[in-house]
Amino acid sequence: MLVTLEQAEKLILEGKVLHIAADESLLNMLPKGNWIAGTTPYFITEQGGVTCKDRLFVNELDCAVGHKISVYDKDSIFNITKDAYPNGLSFLVMPFASEVAVYFAKEAPNSGDLIMNPTVGWISGYDLAAGGSAKVFDGSTGLSYEDKAVALHICLPDDKIANLGIVNIFSINEGDTKIEFAEDTLSVSKCLINGEEMYLSDYILENKIDTQLPLVADYNGSYINVSIKSVSAENKTVELYAPVFAGKTYRFSSPVSDYAASFAERLKEHEDLKPVFSCNCILNYLYGKLEGKATPPFAGPVTFGEIAYQLLNQTLVYAVVADK
Amino acid sequence: MDLDLAFKKLIMKQANYQSGNLGLNLLISRLQSRYASKPTQEELENSLQEMRAFFAKYDSILQKDIEMLKKL
Repeated sequence: MLVTLEQAEKLILEGKVLHIAADESLLNMLPKGNWIAGTTPYFITEQGGVTCKDRLFVNELDCAVGHKISVYDKDSIFNITKDAYPNGLSFLVMPFASEVAVYFAKEAPNSGDLIMNPTVGWISGYDLAAGGSAKVFDGSTGLSYEDKAVALHICLPDDKIANLGIVNIFSINEGDTKIEFAEDTLSVSKCLINGEEMYLSDYILENKIDTQLPLVADYNGSYINVSIKSVSAENKTVELYAPVFAGKTYRFSSPVSDYAASFAERLKEHEDLKPVFSCNCILNYLYGKLEGKATPPFAGPVTFGEIAYQLLNQTLVYAVVADK
Repeated sequence: MDLDLAFKKLIMKQANYQSGNLGLNLLISRLQSRYASKPTQEELENSLQEMRAFFAKYDSILQKDIEMLKKL
């Protein structure tokens, strides 16, 4: 929920275990305590999407029976699974474009330990109109970082278990053009288009592909997006917000004419959920004009990348704590 | 059907099962790719161990999946 600075301070001083998202100016004023945070001025609340620098979005993690906060860099990020509680949930926040986020994005799909130790989170950002830097905060020390990840590991009671899910409004058809890549990369030049080598940039431009639509890969029935950051005809490169992986088959998503309506339709199957955390992508917020539009039962920060076991794009991610 | 048999069929892509559980789908996808690139008995056993561990931990929320996998 969105709270005032005073309300956030009160929760911290009460010793609550908190995940927080807010503008950097507010996070810098918080007292030390049992919290982690990332920067973003965008949120989807129960009343709808909003850009806000005088409120903080706070997830109060009352389900936790223990907690610890860790800070990681590129070399240590996969210690996150060793530091996780055997029956727990880990919240991970990483700064946009940081080395640790890039490394995590490329390597996370290879980690079996991440599947066994549910990790949910997001990539922190900044006000796109005003500029700024993406940061994360370790509330236990009061320190903030542009180049490190912070994690809040919580321990759950024996009769509870964490589960992660996504809501992805993008879909593909089997008959759509297949796109494959020779390497795991965030920057693509050549690829295979239906088996024939071609520059992806040429394919996009010649076919007038709407680059607001993500590439989508089918992971055994779960659709995972990769969003387009930029296309350069001159350099014949396409930059991505998440890596594509060799061995996966991608297709451009089918068009979505109304993001809010698409979310509303998909969210009907989730209406009974009580998520302890959720976030939604800044690209959905911008392309889908989600300002003023709600996505019940989900509310949370609008993020520059989402994490549910691995990095995702243009996706709503959530965590629930279920009875065993 | 013993779940190990269902797990083997999934890993070796001899059967298809799509779950509503994101973690399970990501696990199946990863194990299928790994086995396809190295189709050895050792790799199959390693993959089976991962499936068993996942189902042991998440047994309580995978009951529907377990029932469906028994029919594979």
